[in-house]
Amino acid sequence: MKFIKQLRESIENNSKQNALCVNGVFYTYQDFAIEISKIRNAINNTISSSEKLIGLVTNDDLQTYASIIALWFEGKAYVPVNPSSPIERNNQVFELTETKYVLDSSKTSIYKELNVIATSSLDEVQVSLSPKEVSDNDLAYILFTSGTTGLPKGVPITYKNVDALVNAIDHEPEFNLNTSDRCLQMFELTFDFSVVTYLFPFLAGACIYTIPKNTIKYFYIFKLIKEQRLTVLTMVPSIINYLRPYFPEINAPDVRYCSFGGGALHSDIAKEWSDCLPNCKIFNYYGPTEFTVYSGFYPYHKETHLKSHNGIIAIGTPQKDCSYLVVNENNEEVPLQVTGELCLGGPQVTPGYWKNEERNAESFFVKSENGKDVRYYKTGDLCFKDESGDFLYVGRADFQVKIRGYRVELAEIEFHAKEKSVKKVNMVALDITNKLGNAELGLAIEGESFDTEEIIEYMKTKMPDYMVPGHIRFVKEFPHSINGKIDRKKLRTYFDIN
Amino acid sequence: MTRDEILPKVKLAFVAVLEHDNFELTDATTAEDVDGWESITHMMIISEVEKAFNIKFKLMDLMNMNNVGDLLKTIESELH
Repeated sequence: MKFIKQLRESIENNSKQNALCVNGVFYTYQDFAIEISKIRNAINNTISSSEKLIGLVTNDDLQTYASIIALWFEGKAYVPVNPSSPIERNNQVFELTETKYVLDSSKTSIYKELNVIATSSLDEVQVSLSPKEVSDNDLAYILFTSGTTGLPKGVPITYKNVDALVNAIDHEPEFNLNTSDRCLQMFELTFDFSVVTYLFPFLAGACIYTIPKNTIKYFYIFKLIKEQRLTVLTMVPSIINYLRPYFPEINAPDVRYCSFGGGALHSDIAKEWSDCLPNCKIFNYYGPTEFTVYSGFYPYHKETHLKSHNGIIAIGTPQKDCSYLVVNENNEEVPLQVTGELCLGGPQVTPGYWKNEERNAESFFVKSENGKDVRYYKTGDLCFKDESGDFLYVGRADFQVKIRGYRVELAEIEFHAKEKSVKKVNMVALDITNKLGNAELGLAIEGESFDTEEIIEYMKTKMPDYMVPGHIRFVKEFPHSINGKIDRKKLRTYFDIN
Repeated sequence: MTRDEILPKVKLAFVAVLEHDNFELTDATTAEDVDGWESITHMMIISEVEKAFNIKFKLMDLMNMNNVGDLLKTIESELH
């Protein structure tokens, strides 16, 4: 596997360079190689070669990153769980994937029912980075996203998928990392965007800078940009929304690349942000978890590349080997300028949701193109293609929303809220925009008000914190539209949060 | 304005954003001690405090703010 080979070479060739900076402490590629080798040794001594899916508790430390690389060098896949998510949800993820082993760098592990490899207290061994053989369809990781039925939805990604991603980015002449780059890694490792923020720097021998868990991340990011003179930023647009009141105080001439993804980038804020980064190329990336992070980008420039629709910057063109198709409800391609659902084909598409045939039948289809069958993933995003071949984002086709960059199915929140409620009343989860322009979650409950503490506490045990509604409103009678559906737009007006 | 006068107004800003008043604010209080106080709500609290005192914090001050004591000190210096 090409990217695994590249990864090994990069770690070996850059042993004196810094690989990670965690909470002010630097680790070199040599330190990284030692940790990787220790973890590989433990894996070899404990886990049988047929056991492929291995749990990973995503702490913010050297061992957690080394665990990912160790698993890849062993030809296995990581199944990450966030230590701040409810243990019940994390156990659900392990049950769904039949994971029996977990790599955990915590002082004491809470996963008593699994076989735990405590990665922070392993024996010293000889450095060994020679990777085991893997085949194209072996899995590299499985990430879980919000699902409609209350069960999280697994997205497995193969080695071939990741290799195709790396190949496509390597092919892009506008983006080249090198050993002197200092790169922001602000994402939780259960979030697919993290794959590009650790993998690309590691492949280039660059250094990643993580965000400690208990800090105010917006200010910590600024501190890193200023004090560590970061050169590469990868972020979700909501970060700059929160920093926006302070833009006049930000001037970061060292930043050379800033990539956005995981949500709509608005043109007004992109222009203002671009003024803070005088020497920077800005990329507006697009891509879902199901298509291995990125599928393409638009090269934004405040003077020359400003294409947008309804104030949202274009998502540009597909990257190498990827194809975009805009379709109607019968999966037929629509003409230029006509809005339809964006579908993605190519070597980066997931083999399908984990053990979910029903969902797979809905989300994927095969189209014959020039005598070849191409499998497409339906993104649920509405887009159109313009005359010069750029794709423009219009909105979501369903009730999935983005909260802090995470995809959230509103139906999952409603499911858990209703499940616990003694009163069987209508409940609707809504995304509400706060005054900083970011989406927050609200829960509208029909009828007379009652104490919701128990429902909220219950939701906290079932879902990650970003999915628990921060605002609750009681509405005597829900407004309805002409065709009898609950009028979500009108319901939103009950949430005066600004 | 003295610290004793500042504190109740700061508490009101916290309550407005967090939608509960199940906490006490002392100089040593950090986000760890208050339910719901994290990155996002912090930004909302800061903007609420700015509104309440009609001041504007500097990013450099916000960057090094670690507890409620730091917040109160910064408000004091902005008011002078």
